[in-house]
Amino acid sequence: MHTFTVYVRLIHALVRSQLQYRVSFLMDLIATTFYTVLEFASLVLILGRIKTLGSWTIPEITLLYGLAELSFGIMDMAFAGFDPSIFGAFIRQGSLDQLMLRPVSLTVQVMGSDFGLRRLGKCLLGLVILLYGIWYAGIIWTPEKALLLLLVLIGMVLFFAGLFMIGSTITFWTVDSAEAMNILTYGGRAMIEYPMSIYQNWLRKIFTFVVPVIFLNYYPVLHLLDKPDPFGFPAWSHWLSPVVGCGIFLLAILFWRFGLKHYQSTGT
Amino acid sequence: MTVFWEIMVRAFQRQITYRAAALAGLATNLFFGFIKAAMVEAYYQNTQILSGMDVKAAVTYTVVTQALLGFLSIFGTFDLMRTIYRGEVATDLLKPISFLGLWMARDFGQSVAQLLLRGSVILLVYGLFMDMGFPESPMQWIYTVVSLLLGWTVWFVVRFLVNLGAFWSPDARGIARLCYAFTLLLSGLLMPIRLYPEWVQKFAAWTPFPYVLNTPMEIYSGVLSSQEMLHALVLQGIWLVALLILTQGVWQQASKRLMVLGG
Repeated sequence: MHTFTVYVRLIHALVRSQLQYRVSFLMDLIATTFYTVLEFASLVLILGRIKTLGSWTIPEITLLYGLAELSFGIMDMAFAGFDPSIFGAFIRQGSLDQLMLRPVSLTVQVMGSDFGLRRLGKCLLGLVILLYGIWYAGIIWTPEKALLLLLVLIGMVLFFAGLFMIGSTITFWTVDSAEAMNILTYGGRAMIEYPMSIYQNWLRKIFTFVVPVIFLNYYPVLHLLDKPDPFGFPAWSHWLSPVVGCGIFLLAILFWRFGLKHYQSTGT
Repeated sequence: MTVFWEIMVRAFQRQITYRAAALAGLATNLFFGFIKAAMVEAYYQNTQILSGMDVKAAVTYTVVTQALLGFLSIFGTFDLMRTIYRGEVATDLLKPISFLGLWMARDFGQSVAQLLLRGSVILLVYGLFMDMGFPESPMQWIYTVVSLLLGWTVWFVVRFLVNLGAFWSPDARGIARLCYAFTLLLSGLLMPIRLYPEWVQKFAAWTPFPYVLNTPMEIYSGVLSSQEMLHALVLQGIWLVALLILTQGVWQQASKRLMVLGG
């Protein structure tokens, strides 16, 4: 309970400081949200002309897209301190050494070291996109599907948080930020925003067997929509989503602990 | 001119020292190129041609765009803005070259390095693994190169203008981010502008964005007739001149503010 209070306090301070410069904050909020709006608009504008992408209609793709955007947005807000590009600078400046001296959980302090309120716009937008998809994709609801939707969201938040933590831990050794992780984080998100059936075989295999993002979003949405699986995985594959998410997150925590134990300051 | 050259060479050298960052950027560009190409192919599943563009031209357009991201510094830099905030701009003004020329030289050096280090490798990889087209005639190659240089300069001037915002606003990053957001859609960065509905294409034509990337890419991918290519180049030129005149005016106002602030 104490750690949670610390986290809330840290975030509260960050939010207050960001609200000091209102105009600047608003501009940032609009710009960040606008980015997502235009990216999504690009898809909708083209789909509006050609109607379907393979066997997928616009609301169906919206469902995929909204789930990925919302979960990534939530993660990006709560775990911003673990964003490898931010955490890398943290290490270079030796700020981590300061945190280590404090008698509070280091993980919580890192989590609370950054919090971009402007990302709230992206979360809300993700939610709107998702709700549109849920409303128009014609899902036949069952209690089981509702539970799945919730678990999928949690699973994806944890999955991306895990990738952030792994990327940050790598910076213990490389000092320079682990930019190649962007392929997994931002690339992974971009991948799962579209039906996996559009990708070439080799690309899809990597994202099935190496980094199993295919289970995160694609299989759950196939199940929600009662669409047939073109790749012949077992019928329960959609339940792998929270499993994969939690699994990566646990691995990430272990790796992070290992990294902390072996951390040597840059001496700055 | 020698000053311009020297600044350019130094910017070039600075770029090639960060090898790890270059590699990571390269991998990211390559990866997103594959994703975008897959999307383009999916768009063409039920149709042969969209607005006069077949699937091969669209894929070519998309992947070559990825190779040019670094050259065009599409995701821009805030360097100029930073020098304004830190007051380093005063030292820059003492240099024996115009302020615009100084930054153009810095940017161009960086761009050439990006083209050689990143762009060429990306083109090679896509050339090997994808059904990618190349300009068919020497004339089309020349048009492409001229259009690309014009596009680079248009984009440089737009970024210069956005960065000058720092003279007025304590945080011009918001303005810059907004500008990049528009670039995403209206320059053809995400998808060829032709694939969008007509009203979007018409709207885009009234902004400077499509002349940065869309024009050179349409010439490269061969969707324009030779007369249309010439027309496109002239339009790019007109935009460039107009933007340069605007920049001159804005810079005069900005430098006046500098006197007031910095003395």
